[in-house]
Amino acid sequence: MTQRLTLRTRTAPAGAVIELAGDLDHHSAPEVRAALPGLDLRPGQQLVLDLGDVTFCDSSGITVLIAARNHALTAGAGIALAAVPDPVSRIFRICGLDQVFPVHPTALAAETAWRPTAG
Amino acid sequence: MGTSGDEENGVAGLGRPGGTGQVAGGWGNGDLGSSDDRAQFSALLEDSVEDLYEHAPCGYLSTLLDGRIAKVNTTLLDWLGYERDDLLGRRHFSDLLTVGGRLYHETHFAPLLGMQGEVSGIALELKAADGSRLPVLVTSTVRTGRDGRPLLIRTTLFDARDRRAYETELLRARKEAERERERLQRLAATLQKTLLPPTLANVPGLDVSAYYHIASVDEVGGDFYDLFPLAEGTWGLFLGDVCGKGAAAAAVTSLTRYTLRAAAVYNPDPDAVLRNLNTVLNHEYNGADPRFCTVIFGLLTPDPDRGGFHITLASGGHPPALLMRADGTTDYLPTPGGQLIGVLADAHIATTAVRLAPGDTLLLHTDGLTEAHVNAVDGVDRYGDDALLDFARTLAPTTASATVDAIRDLLDTFGSGVDDDTAVLAIHVPRPPSEELQ
Repeated sequence: MTQRLTLRTRTAPAGAVIELAGDLDHHSAPEVRAALPGLDLRPGQQLVLDLGDVTFCDSSGITVLIAARNHALTAGAGIALAAVPDPVSRIFRICGLDQVFPVHPTALAAETAWRPTAG
Repeated sequence: MGTSGDEENGVAGLGRPGGTGQVAGGWGNGDLGSSDDRAQFSALLEDSVEDLYEHAPCGYLSTLLDGRIAKVNTTLLDWLGYERDDLLGRRHFSDLLTVGGRLYHETHFAPLLGMQGEVSGIALELKAADGSRLPVLVTSTVRTGRDGRPLLIRTTLFDARDRRAYETELLRARKEAERERERLQRLAATLQKTLLPPTLANVPGLDVSAYYHIASVDEVGGDFYDLFPLAEGTWGLFLGDVCGKGAAAAAVTSLTRYTLRAAAVYNPDPDAVLRNLNTVLNHEYNGADPRFCTVIFGLLTPDPDRGGFHITLASGGHPPALLMRADGTTDYLPTPGGQLIGVLADAHIATTAVRLAPGDTLLLHTDGLTEAHVNAVDGVDRYGDDALLDFARTLAPTTASATVDAIRDLLDTFGSGVDDDTAVLAIHVPRPPSEELQ
């Protein structure tokens, strides 16, 4: 029933990318949260969360996405979501997060769209 | 076990504390300096067979096939406080056991020994001459003659007092842990109760029903609801869900509840109430451990001309309310664009207003219901908003209590599939008695 979460981070020219797959919930959210401080993220860069293979996201999952946003903003960087699956984007619409996170069809599109800010 | 010969028994007895060769070698080289000591040591090793049998660190017992005692060592006699003549030829092995042990010996031990020729490591209790009890671990072997006929039974008994004490301690620790868990569950249940209203306000002309489904007895959930009187003739109601579980979530739930009630007294405009809550939560929690909630707040005002109520709903990122009309029409009451509360300094609050006519029912719920695991259909294993809408359509027209009862039953069918707490609150405007007759 529950899909175990897997997490992969990589560094793209525009900044760090976190690729998530599986259920982002009460059990798996701490793992994502723990990965945030270790990210290589410099001012003016962009943190991309690739949600392409996320199968489920509950309020704990949303909490950790917000924590990621807070982390990026504190680092002087931006944040974007890529490949948000339909069920997840529906939850985002309900809780109004679609207005908070820029969303791109793919991680590559998110990187291409990124314009480094001064600083 | 080494019961095939006396020499083997002796070696096994010596070897038990930690390796015969090593121990003997160590003493021989280090402590036994004088030739006298060495001679005594050798003597002990040499004529040890008889001595080892009599004073082995375990009890030895040989019995005839009917259990009558034929031979017994000094160790066992000392443990039990008997003289050799008290036992030899007079007593049976089972006579040395407690009543419970005798029963077990007769029904299990002896038959098993008869079938297998050996039984090992059975825990029994011996009764000493003075009536005291001695827990032992018993191993028995049937010895046969050259023709293979069974002749006698050899039994070795190990003192299990330490082991029994250890088991008693384990049992005590387990009972203590169980008591701790019960205490924790009681605490969680009590805490949960303080987060929910003991009773909902009685609103004249309105039928109200609510239910809180606890997913885990160990953890406090973050769902909440309330309905309470405001200024003359108006009522406030809310239902929401704080992210996360446990004590930290409960603290946010508590803060949220009291802030909502206080803010509603200060300014009952639903948009303003949620805006106030957003400011409070946003100031309190940010950074690496963000805390937020999704909530619907409603202001209820009776319609004096046409009957029923007006309700203005403000949503902060919460799943929309379900409106089940008197004519059976059922749909979500969308509040698009509302944002969850506590994360953004200037969260957008979406509002909508609707009149509840006689026969109408409004249902508020948290997503524990729609996110419940159900048997996979087309790869989707969560209940979902569409399924809930279909379910509500089968209920309408309905009442508050009938709706909440139906949802309780629905949650029961999900069983352990509901892995998050669920709160539901339904309000219904009863039809006037004259209309119900039609």
